[in-house]
Amino acid sequence: MSQGHPLLKLEPLIWFLFGQGIMIGSMLMTGWLLVVCILNPLGMLPPEALGYERAQALGSSLVGRVVLLGILVLPVWKAAHHIRHFFIDRGHAEKDGLIGGTSYTVATLLSIFAVVAVVRL
Amino acid sequence: MAATKPAHPDAMAPRTAGPTRTAAPMQPASWKTSPRMKAYARFGMTGWVYLIASISAIVIVWALGSGPEAYEQMQGVLAKPLVILFHVIALISVGFVLIRFFGLFPKAQPARIGPAKPPPEPVLKVMLYAAWAGITVALSVILAGGIF
Repeated sequence: MSQGHPLLKLEPLIWFLFGQGIMIGSMLMTGWLLVVCILNPLGMLPPEALGYERAQALGSSLVGRVVLLGILVLPVWKAAHHIRHFFIDRGHAEKDGLIGGTSYTVATLLSIFAVVAVVRL
Repeated sequence: MAATKPAHPDAMAPRTAGPTRTAAPMQPASWKTSPRMKAYARFGMTGWVYLIASISAIVIVWALGSGPEAYEQMQGVLAKPLVILFHVIALISVGFVLIRFFGLFPKAQPARIGPAKPPPEPVLKVMLYAAWAGITVALSVILAGGIF
Protein backbone atom coordinates (compact mmCIF):
# COMPACT_ATOMS: atom_id res chain seq x y z
CA MET A 1 0.00 0.00 0.00
CA SER A 2 1.44 3.39 -0.99
CA GLN A 3 2.18 6.04 1.63
CA GLY A 4 -0.65 8.30 0.42
CA HIS A 5 -3.33 5.57 0.44
CA PRO A 6 -6.61 6.74 2.10
CA LEU A 7 -6.57 3.74 4.46
CA LEU A 8 -3.24 4.93 5.89
CA LYS A 9 -4.66 8.43 6.40
CA LEU A 10 -7.67 6.94 8.23
CA GLU A 11 -5.49 4.59 10.29
CA PRO A 12 -5.75 6.60 13.58
CA LEU A 13 -9.57 6.62 13.39
CA ILE A 14 -9.72 2.95 12.37
CA TRP A 15 -7.38 1.91 15.19
CA PHE A 16 -9.40 3.97 17.69
CA LEU A 17 -12.66 2.24 16.67
CA PHE A 18 -10.91 -1.16 16.55
CA GLY A 19 -9.46 -0.68 20.04
CA GLN A 20 -12.80 0.42 21.47
CA GLY A 21 -14.46 -2.48 19.66
CA ILE A 22 -12.15 -4.97 21.33
CA MET A 23 -12.34 -3.45 24.81
CA ILE A 24 -15.67 -1.66 25.30
CA GLY A 25 -17.55 -3.59 22.60
CA SER A 26 -16.43 -7.00 23.87
CA MET A 27 -17.14 -6.13 27.52
CA LEU A 28 -20.67 -5.04 26.61
CA MET A 29 -21.23 -7.98 24.26
CA THR A 30 -20.52 -10.51 27.01
CA GLY A 31 -23.67 -9.67 28.99
CA TRP A 32 -25.71 -9.11 25.82
CA LEU A 33 -24.85 -12.51 24.33
CA LEU A 34 -25.28 -14.29 27.64
CA VAL A 35 -28.71 -12.88 28.51
CA VAL A 36 -30.38 -11.79 25.24
CA CYS A 37 -29.00 -14.47 22.92
CA ILE A 38 -28.55 -17.53 25.19
CA LEU A 39 -30.36 -17.47 28.56
CA ASN A 40 -33.57 -15.81 27.33
CA PRO A 41 -34.01 -18.04 24.23
CA LEU A 42 -33.39 -21.08 26.45
CA GLY A 43 -36.28 -19.96 28.65
CA MET A 44 -34.09 -19.46 31.70
CA LEU A 45 -35.45 -15.98 32.45
CA PRO A 46 -38.92 -14.84 33.52
CA PRO A 47 -40.94 -14.06 30.34
CA GLU A 48 -41.46 -10.43 31.35
CA ALA A 49 -37.68 -9.79 31.74
CA LEU A 50 -37.15 -9.21 28.03
CA GLY A 51 -40.79 -8.87 27.03
CA TYR A 52 -41.51 -6.25 24.39
CA GLU A 53 -42.58 -3.46 26.71
CA ARG A 54 -39.65 -3.77 29.12
CA ALA A 55 -37.12 -4.23 26.29
CA GLN A 56 -38.53 -1.17 24.52
CA ALA A 57 -38.40 0.89 27.72
CA LEU A 58 -34.80 -0.17 28.46
CA GLY A 59 -33.60 0.34 24.90
CA SER A 60 -35.24 3.71 24.33
CA SER A 61 -33.87 5.35 27.48
CA LEU A 62 -30.84 7.63 27.01
CA VAL A 63 -28.47 5.24 28.81
CA GLY A 64 -30.01 2.29 26.98
CA ARG A 65 -29.42 3.92 23.59
CA VAL A 66 -25.78 4.68 24.42
CA VAL A 67 -25.17 1.11 25.62
CA LEU A 68 -26.92 -0.30 22.54
CA LEU A 69 -24.75 1.84 20.26
CA GLY A 70 -21.70 0.42 22.02
CA ILE A 71 -22.94 -3.13 21.51
CA LEU A 72 -24.01 -2.61 17.89
CA VAL A 73 -21.36 -0.31 16.41
CA LEU A 74 -18.02 -0.95 18.15
CA PRO A 75 -17.76 -4.74 17.54
CA VAL A 76 -18.40 -4.11 13.82
CA TRP A 77 -15.11 -2.16 13.64
CA LYS A 78 -13.29 -4.80 15.62
CA ALA A 79 -14.62 -7.34 13.11
CA ALA A 80 -13.64 -5.27 10.06
CA HIS A 81 -10.09 -4.66 11.23
CA HIS A 82 -9.52 -8.26 12.29
CA ILE A 83 -10.93 -9.63 9.02
CA ARG A 84 -8.54 -7.33 7.13
CA HIS A 85 -5.59 -8.52 9.21
CA PHE A 86 -6.71 -12.14 8.93
CA PHE A 87 -6.24 -11.87 5.16
CA ILE A 88 -2.87 -10.14 5.57
CA ASP A 89 -1.74 -12.88 7.98
CA ARG A 90 -2.80 -15.59 5.51
CA GLY A 91 -0.61 -14.11 2.78
CA HIS A 92 -2.89 -11.70 0.91
CA ALA A 93 -1.08 -8.47 1.75
CA GLU A 94 -0.96 -7.48 -1.91
CA LYS A 95 -4.79 -7.19 -1.90
CA ASP A 96 -4.85 -5.16 1.32
CA GLY A 97 -6.26 -2.03 -0.34
CA LEU A 98 -9.24 -3.96 -1.72
CA ILE A 99 -9.85 -6.09 1.39
CA GLY A 100 -9.36 -3.19 3.82
CA GLY A 101 -11.54 -0.88 1.74
CA THR A 102 -14.31 -3.48 1.52
CA SER A 103 -14.12 -4.31 5.23
CA TYR A 104 -14.38 -0.70 6.35
CA THR A 105 -17.12 0.09 3.82
CA VAL A 106 -19.19 -2.80 5.23
CA ALA A 107 -18.40 -1.58 8.76
CA THR A 108 -19.53 1.95 7.85
CA LEU A 109 -22.80 0.68 6.34
CA LEU A 110 -23.52 -1.57 9.34
CA SER A 111 -22.75 1.33 11.69
CA ILE A 112 -25.30 3.47 9.84
CA PHE A 113 -27.89 0.67 10.10
CA ALA A 114 -27.07 0.33 13.81
CA VAL A 115 -27.52 4.04 14.48
CA VAL A 116 -30.84 4.05 12.61
CA ALA A 117 -31.97 0.92 14.53
CA VAL A 118 -31.23 2.63 17.85
CA VAL A 119 -32.73 6.00 16.86
CA ARG A 120 -36.06 4.43 15.74
CA LEU A 121 -36.61 2.73 19.12
CA MET B 1 14.38 -23.47 6.47
CA ALA B 2 13.00 -23.70 2.91
CA ALA B 3 11.66 -20.48 1.42
CA THR B 4 8.61 -20.50 -0.85
CA LYS B 5 8.07 -17.00 -2.16
CA PRO B 6 9.03 -13.43 -1.47
CA ALA B 7 7.47 -11.97 1.68
CA HIS B 8 5.47 -8.74 1.63
CA PRO B 9 7.13 -6.64 -1.09
CA ASP B 10 7.36 -3.61 1.21
CA ALA B 11 8.73 -5.57 4.16
CA MET B 12 11.98 -4.04 5.36
CA ALA B 13 12.18 -1.81 2.27
CA PRO B 14 14.07 1.44 2.88
CA ARG B 15 12.25 4.68 2.08
CA THR B 16 14.80 5.43 -0.67
CA ALA B 17 16.95 2.94 -2.47
CA GLY B 18 20.43 2.82 -0.96
CA PRO B 19 23.75 2.12 -2.66
CA THR B 20 23.79 -1.43 -1.32
CA ARG B 21 21.44 -3.93 -2.93
CA THR B 22 19.91 -6.21 -0.30
CA ALA B 23 18.28 -9.57 -0.85
CA ALA B 24 14.47 -9.56 -0.81
CA PRO B 25 13.01 -11.03 2.41
CA MET B 26 11.63 -14.56 1.89
CA GLN B 27 8.87 -16.40 3.71
CA PRO B 28 9.72 -19.79 5.18
CA ALA B 29 7.61 -22.63 3.70
CA SER B 30 6.27 -23.55 7.14
CA TRP B 31 4.96 -20.09 8.01
CA LYS B 32 1.26 -20.98 7.90
CA THR B 33 1.60 -23.73 10.51
CA SER B 34 3.95 -21.98 12.92
CA PRO B 35 2.38 -21.60 16.39
CA ARG B 36 2.59 -17.83 16.25
CA MET B 37 0.76 -17.67 12.91
CA LYS B 38 -1.90 -20.08 14.18
CA ALA B 39 -2.46 -17.79 17.16
CA TYR B 40 -2.75 -14.76 14.84
CA ALA B 41 -5.19 -16.69 12.63
CA ARG B 42 -7.38 -17.66 15.61
CA PHE B 43 -7.42 -14.05 16.81
CA GLY B 44 -8.19 -12.82 13.29
CA MET B 45 -10.94 -15.39 12.75
CA THR B 46 -12.87 -13.95 15.68
CA GLY B 47 -13.51 -11.04 13.33
CA TRP B 48 -15.91 -13.22 11.33
CA VAL B 49 -17.73 -14.27 14.50
CA TYR B 50 -17.97 -10.65 15.66
CA LEU B 51 -19.31 -9.61 12.26
CA ILE B 52 -22.17 -12.13 12.39
CA ALA B 53 -22.85 -11.42 16.08
CA SER B 54 -23.00 -7.68 15.32
CA ILE B 55 -25.42 -8.22 12.43
CA SER B 56 -27.51 -10.40 14.75
CA ALA B 57 -27.57 -7.63 17.39
CA ILE B 58 -28.55 -4.99 14.81
CA VAL B 59 -31.39 -7.22 13.54
CA ILE B 60 -32.66 -7.79 17.11
CA VAL B 61 -32.74 -4.04 17.86
CA TRP B 62 -34.28 -3.34 14.46
CA ALA B 63 -37.04 -5.86 15.23
CA LEU B 64 -37.58 -4.23 18.63
CA GLY B 65 -38.10 -0.90 16.88
CA SER B 66 -40.53 -2.48 14.41
CA GLY B 67 -43.14 -3.36 17.03
CA PRO B 68 -44.32 -6.27 19.19
CA GLU B 69 -45.03 -8.69 16.34
CA ALA B 70 -41.58 -8.34 14.75
CA TYR B 71 -39.99 -8.62 18.20
CA GLU B 72 -41.89 -11.83 18.98
CA GLN B 73 -40.88 -13.30 15.63
CA MET B 74 -37.26 -12.43 16.43
CA GLN B 75 -37.55 -14.25 19.77
CA GLY B 76 -38.62 -17.33 17.82
CA VAL B 77 -35.54 -17.08 15.57
CA LEU B 78 -33.23 -16.61 18.57
CA ALA B 79 -34.61 -19.80 20.15
CA LYS B 80 -33.56 -22.00 17.19
CA PRO B 81 -30.81 -24.45 18.26
CA LEU B 82 -28.34 -23.41 15.56
CA VAL B 83 -28.77 -19.74 16.45
CA ILE B 84 -28.19 -20.49 20.13
CA LEU B 85 -25.15 -22.59 19.21
CA PHE B 86 -23.71 -19.71 17.18
CA HIS B 87 -24.23 -17.31 20.08
CA VAL B 88 -22.47 -19.72 22.45
CA ILE B 89 -19.53 -19.77 20.02
CA ALA B 90 -19.68 -15.96 19.88
CA LEU B 91 -19.58 -15.77 23.68
CA ILE B 92 -16.52 -18.05 23.75
CA SER B 93 -14.90 -15.87 21.06
CA VAL B 94 -15.55 -12.73 23.09
CA GLY B 95 -13.90 -14.36 26.11
CA PHE B 96 -10.93 -15.47 23.99
CA VAL B 97 -10.49 -11.99 22.52
CA LEU B 98 -10.66 -10.21 25.87
CA ILE B 99 -8.30 -12.63 27.64
CA ARG B 100 -5.76 -12.25 24.82
CA PHE B 101 -6.28 -8.48 24.74
CA PHE B 102 -5.83 -8.17 28.51
CA GLY B 103 -2.54 -10.03 28.13
CA LEU B 104 -1.35 -7.60 25.44
CA PHE B 105 -2.73 -4.35 26.87
CA PRO B 106 -0.27 -3.87 29.77
CA LYS B 107 2.68 -4.55 27.45
CA ALA B 108 1.49 -1.84 25.03
CA GLN B 109 1.42 0.93 27.61
CA PRO B 110 3.88 3.84 27.26
CA ALA B 111 6.54 4.07 29.99
CA ARG B 112 4.95 7.34 31.14
CA ILE B 113 2.42 9.90 29.95
CA GLY B 114 3.66 13.28 31.16
CA PRO B 115 4.19 12.93 34.89
CA ALA B 116 2.00 9.81 35.20
CA LYS B 117 3.29 6.25 35.02
CA PRO B 118 0.96 3.33 34.27
CA PRO B 119 0.32 0.99 37.20
CA PRO B 120 2.32 -2.26 37.41
CA GLU B 121 1.23 -5.00 34.99
CA PRO B 122 -0.51 -7.21 37.59
CA VAL B 123 -2.50 -4.24 38.91
CA LEU B 124 -3.49 -3.21 35.40
CA LYS B 125 -4.64 -6.75 34.62
CA VAL B 126 -6.73 -6.93 37.81
CA MET B 127 -8.34 -3.59 36.87
CA LEU B 128 -9.19 -4.84 33.38
CA TYR B 129 -10.69 -8.12 34.61
CA ALA B 130 -12.61 -6.27 37.34
CA ALA B 131 -14.06 -3.87 34.74
CA TRP B 132 -15.10 -6.80 32.52
CA ALA B 133 -16.71 -8.65 35.41
CA GLY B 134 -18.43 -5.50 36.71
CA ILE B 135 -19.85 -4.49 33.32
CA THR B 136 -20.98 -8.05 32.56
CA VAL B 137 -22.69 -8.56 35.91
CA ALA B 138 -24.37 -5.13 35.84
CA LEU B 139 -25.62 -5.50 32.26
CA SER B 140 -26.73 -9.09 32.80
CA VAL B 141 -28.67 -8.26 35.97
CA ILE B 142 -30.38 -5.30 34.26
CA LEU B 143 -31.26 -7.26 31.12
CA ALA B 144 -32.48 -10.24 33.15
CA GLY B 145 -34.87 -8.00 35.06
CA GLY B 146 -33.00 -8.07 38.37
CA ILE B 147 -33.05 -4.28 38.65
CA PHE B 148 -34.91 -1.47 36.81
